[in-house]
Amino acid sequence: MEGPGNAAPKPSSSVKLVLLGEAAVGKSSLVLRFVNNDFQENKEPTIGAAFLTQKCNLPTRTIKFEIWDTAGQERFASLAPMYYRNAQAALVVYDLTKPTSLVKAKHWVAELQRQASPGIVIALVGNKLDLTNDGGADAGADAGAAGDDEGAEGEGSGDARKIPTEEAQAYAEEEGLLFFETSAKTGHNVTDVFTAIANAIPETSLKSTRGPGGAAAAVGRGADEQRVNLSGQRDNAAKEGCAC
Amino acid sequence: MLNLSSLVQKAQQLIDPTQGLNLSNSDKNPSKASLFQSQFRLSSSQNPLYEINAELTIPPPNATQGDRDSDRGYHYAGKLHLSEAYLCFSTTPSSFVRSANTATSSVFTGQTHGAGPSGNGFTFPLCAIRKVERLNSQSFQFALAITTWNSFLSVTGKENPPTDKKNLREQRITLHLADTRHACERFCDGLKKGLRAAVGNVGRLRKVVAECYSEHLLRPEEKKDASPPDAGLGMMFRYPGDPKKLRDRAKMRLWAEYLRDNGRNITIIRQPTFHKLIRVGLPNRLRGEIWEMTSGSIHLRLENPTLYADTLAKFAGKESLAIDEIEKDLNRSLPEYPGFQDEEGIGRLRRVLTAYSWINPDVGYCQAMNIVVAALLIYMSESQAFFLLSSLCERLVPGYYSTTMYGTLLDQKVFECLVERTMPILWEHLVKSDVQLSVVSLPWFLSLYINSMPLVFAFRVLDVFFVEGPKVLFQVGLAIMRINGEELLDAADDGTFISVLKSYFSRLDESAHPKSENPKLRAVTKFQELMVVAFKEFSQITHSTITDLRLRNKDAVLRNIESFTKRTAIRNLGPDSKLLSADEVGALYDRFYTLLYERQQRDLIIQEETRRRARDSRARAQDLFRGEGEGDHIVDKGRIALGPSTSMMDYNAFREFLASMSKWAVADTQLQAQAHTGNRKSDALLNPWGSGPEPADHEFMRRLFKSWDVGGTGELTLANVVSGLARIKGRRDIMGAMNYFFELYDDDSDGKVDREGILRISEALLFLSRRGLEGALSPSTSTPTSNGANSQGQPGTSETDLGGVSANERFLGSVSAFIRRCFEYADPDRPRTQDGQAGEEGGEEEREKAQADNSEAFAIGDDDDEDEDELDLLGPDSPPGSPKPAAKPSTTPALSTDGSARRVSRAQSEAANAALDPANPLHITLPTFRMVVLADELLEQFFESSFPTSFHIMEGLGSSAPPASSSLTTFSSINFGHRAAMPAIAPAAQGATRGLRGVLDNIVTDGMRVAAEVRKRMDEAQKELEKTALPGQKDEDDEDDADIGVEIGVRGGGAGSSTDPERRRVRSEDRDLLSGADAEAGATGSGSGSGSGREGKLVDIGPGMSDAGPSKGVVEFEG
Ligand SMILES: Nc1nc2c(ncn2[C@@H]2O[C@H](COP(=O)(O)OP(=O)(O)OP(=O)(O)O)[C@@H](O)[C@H]2O)c(=O)[nH]1
Ligand SMILES: [Mg+2]
Repeated sequence: MEGPGNAAPKPSSSVKLVLLGEAAVGKSSLVLRFVNNDFQENKEPTIGAAFLTQKCNLPTRTIKFEIWDTAGQERFASLAPMYYRNAQAALVVYDLTKPTSLVKAKHWVAELQRQASPGIVIALVGNKLDLTNDGGADAGADAGAAGDDEGAEGEGSGDARKIPTEEAQAYAEEEGLLFFETSAKTGHNVTDVFTAIANAIPETSLKSTRGPGGAAAAVGRGADEQRVNLSGQRDNAAKEGCAC
Repeated sequence: MLNLSSLVQKAQQLIDPTQGLNLSNSDKNPSKASLFQSQFRLSSSQNPLYEINAELTIPPPNATQGDRDSDRGYHYAGKLHLSEAYLCFSTTPSSFVRSANTATSSVFTGQTHGAGPSGNGFTFPLCAIRKVERLNSQSFQFALAITTWNSFLSVTGKENPPTDKKNLREQRITLHLADTRHACERFCDGLKKGLRAAVGNVGRLRKVVAECYSEHLLRPEEKKDASPPDAGLGMMFRYPGDPKKLRDRAKMRLWAEYLRDNGRNITIIRQPTFHKLIRVGLPNRLRGEIWEMTSGSIHLRLENPTLYADTLAKFAGKESLAIDEIEKDLNRSLPEYPGFQDEEGIGRLRRVLTAYSWINPDVGYCQAMNIVVAALLIYMSESQAFFLLSSLCERLVPGYYSTTMYGTLLDQKVFECLVERTMPILWEHLVKSDVQLSVVSLPWFLSLYINSMPLVFAFRVLDVFFVEGPKVLFQVGLAIMRINGEELLDAADDGTFISVLKSYFSRLDESAHPKSENPKLRAVTKFQELMVVAFKEFSQITHSTITDLRLRNKDAVLRNIESFTKRTAIRNLGPDSKLLSADEVGALYDRFYTLLYERQQRDLIIQEETRRRARDSRARAQDLFRGEGEGDHIVDKGRIALGPSTSMMDYNAFREFLASMSKWAVADTQLQAQAHTGNRKSDALLNPWGSGPEPADHEFMRRLFKSWDVGGTGELTLANVVSGLARIKGRRDIMGAMNYFFELYDDDSDGKVDREGILRISEALLFLSRRGLEGALSPSTSTPTSNGANSQGQPGTSETDLGGVSANERFLGSVSAFIRRCFEYADPDRPRTQDGQAGEEGGEEEREKAQADNSEAFAIGDDDDEDEDELDLLGPDSPPGSPKPAAKPSTTPALSTDGSARRVSRAQSEAANAALDPANPLHITLPTFRMVVLADELLEQFFESSFPTSFHIMEGLGSSAPPASSSLTTFSSINFGHRAAMPAIAPAAQGATRGLRGVLDNIVTDGMRVAAEVRKRMDEAQKELEKTALPGQKDEDDEDDADIGVEIGVRGGGAGSSTDPERRRVRSEDRDLLSGADAEAGATGSGSGSGSGREGKLVDIGPGMSDAGPSKGVVEFEG
């Protein structure tokens, strides 16, 4: 792992990023698009979590994203703290065509705001833009089309959008989140999300890249105790007498 | 959960101590029955009834039919076990009789070294035994020759076995029983009994066996069906891997041989070769069937062969959350396998997952199940996969797929412990680098390696897993860590760590020693190496190692999940929960789930106890080998972290829930009931309410339940309960509380509560107050004499006794006043004039009619001249400037009729009971209700404080039940708890309900006096308002009250017909008050601040209307 200490031509630092969101909203697909510029129609559901890395070049520095792509199903939620532990950034993804997925996204935002490292950068991402009339050509330009989505429902050609841009945008502003509408399928806006996050990570938190005993690890420690924390054993093992 | 341990302890004490049911630690000290079931992979319906030492003799493979030389063939010493429907033999020296110590009964969990947990032997369903002969033997007292149905079952009816004998292979084994004559006889008797009972099941057996590929395999070529039994999608879409490389043919040949010699599917006998053949990997077409046998799921299928098809049929077309989730993943399950790019495979997967989600709604569907089931379906039929999935979820990896996934989390913790124990250096490194092991290993366990390794290898792991159990997952995991140890020690972060392992998995087929000189060594693949390391180097990892560690970590893991679940649940409760404090919501959460959990535990204990008693009385003497506490394993059910097996509160649970917080919700009968049944401890065990007080069952509680049950499901969620209580306790606003109460009784939400409703409200008020009022009660109003300086006195409690009249007794008066006033100000129902033009415009005729209909109700106690007066002032055609035009149709008629009703003749008015006459429908509106409440300080305080305070969310009622009715002697004869369920909205009860209702009826029946009194009070109030309390006034008041007190007992007395001219003004004042209330109602939620002036005014009236009289009256009714 490259630490900040390594004298590189351009400062490089790693950022732990976690993806959260309802099942099948396209978290893994977004990552696959960002990391491999690829898309798979039938992506297996993520079991537990998947880990990938990708570099993101900014004018002044390089960011290496350590991406934790988590499972979306409700019951996996209790595992999530294990993955967002020490995360500096989070992508909370919903599916533009599924209203329940935004509700779930809001839950995640609330959870992160309370339980994750303070100062975590959160981006709200509405995915599957290709299924809407906006088609990802020019995001947000034609949100008014959402008005007649009921009529078009079920027809492949119609607008499947169920969540108007404004609604999600307003919520994102209220909560101070970055906001994007993307399509993992077409690739629209995907890199932009990660670039925006990279830019939003405060310089200060980059100085101390996470690592053994790194500062980032310390940051999240306060909130750790309450989580379903499998590593909690490290603290408790002695007391609990896990006679290993 | 809070009271769990105490509950369990109590249960343990109460259950017959000799029984030794160990409910709290079912895992630590599992019952003999459950050990037996694990050993032979049987369902929980099987108990170890008899066991006996025996020697098994299997004829040598080449033995000719009828060769009975017992010296030839294979001999195994071991134990023979008999359960209800199975005869099992195992060479592992385990014992499940009651006298056996735990070590001998759990010995199978020790090192298996290839023998598998069930060792060598067999597990025959009794129905598979065709014949048992007793042989003569020199060396043994008892020798039995057992002939099975092996190979005969697939023969169709036409073929007569004897004529076809050359194709059949009779399976005949010999068992020498080695025990006392008596023991042998007992065993044989048991066997005989079991065999007789099993005869009927041969049909089922035939059905089950027909789905087994082995039947087809062993059939001679010329007899093979064109369509062999379904051995999975692989038959259609090819099996994964290169069959040549897998040496599938050779394996198949070996297995065919083994099955021919040792019996097939259900009648197979396990010999050492069996385990060896499994270790080298199963052949494709037999894989599914052998998984089914080794996991024991075939026994589940035998128990109910049509369950799969039946379940699908039963729930055809139904929808569920699980189904939605399944649909999302169907296209995402082993998508690289051609069978799942096809509707055939997708359809099978959909059906199996759906069917299972129906039979096990606690699990429903969990991502990863799709992958596991998809894998199973490559090798087995749908129904085989369905039962194997049951075995997985219920026995092999319990809790992995539950809604909290506690099994997964627990096993991760166990795995970490094992890594720490076996590879301390690596472990230290992980800790130092802050790498979370479970991040990597969790998917291994959850998908049984199917998702982590190339499929062909994952299936090899599964082959062993199904026969040896979950310890295999750990052994393989540890082996992976050990083999990659060096590289992992160089990895310093999650990322590197993961990529090391990823690349290892992708190279499993490569040579483990590519540089070796030795070609044999070079030929060893990494996967083979993995297997060797897993099962040789980690052979010390046994089932009991795992069980131990699971137990040790269980509580910590469950606690973690519980706090996480609680946090999440509370956060997601919705806006209503914000009205309560965080502590209150937290306490509600605990209260809610603790209660559901305890109820569930109690149910189980009751079931257990009932069953035990039934069993005891049935077979006390003869059945010494009885299994103990079957079903122990489910005793933990209900704990949140184990998956919310219930998160819904039904009405009975709701009653109990209320009774834990509110003293009014405790039944009055409780003490008596306990006196009757509490003699025997064990009976208390069967008490459906556990140690808590028996909850009351009052109509009010039913209404509350209905109102909280927003979705109308008949069950409450935590969210329902929180919003329900938030509405009562949250706002601390009297208007809200009154509205709430009114809505509770406004059944059709039309803004009106009818006569019946008024009575029910009053009843509820008395019900709620019968153990005394809580909260802030001002003692000032109690008696006229206490008016002066005392009037701003400190809030009293329920026990406050003021001049001999407690707040509670005064409250009785308030309630009776409430009824009187309600009827006084009620409006007649005039449904047709409701809409549009309002009463004023709607034909004179109609109005006349309505007035006539309702006349009696409002004529109570009025005399003629008064009627005239009233008419002048309050006639339907309201004076100009009166503030209630047709714009408020719902309340305008209320006023107009209020007056016009008084026009009726005296004759009619003397039908004094008319207020209860259902022929005269009437109703009150919300504004009227509020006015009536606010007209009485005590009632006001009830809604403002007592009622909300009576829910003790935080502290509860404590363990001791409140003394039944002791605080309220006046109502001791009124039995709330005993009342039978009353239809919620019955027409005026026709004497069906005695008790309290009778009292109320009397109050109302005493109509004339009631009406008069109310009016008088209004007069007084008016006087007070206008003359600003002249000193002399007080005396008059006192006298009046005293008079009333005397008169109250006199039924039908025409008292109170004073003709004080002031009354007219009161009337109009009234009307203003009412219209004021209207205005407020119209501006719903416009903030109570704006209306406070008016409220104040209403409240001011209160003090003039002493309740001393009426309360005395009620007391007199009692006598
Ligand atoms: N049309 C369209 N489909 C998409 C898009 N992104 C993902 N999908 C599809 O949605 C399905 C789910 O995608 P995944 O990336 O596996 O979703 P996920 O959020 O990772 O799901 P879990 O791992 O179960 O939480 C797949 O079938 C994808 O092909 C998109 O932008 N447009
Ligand atoms: Mg995913």
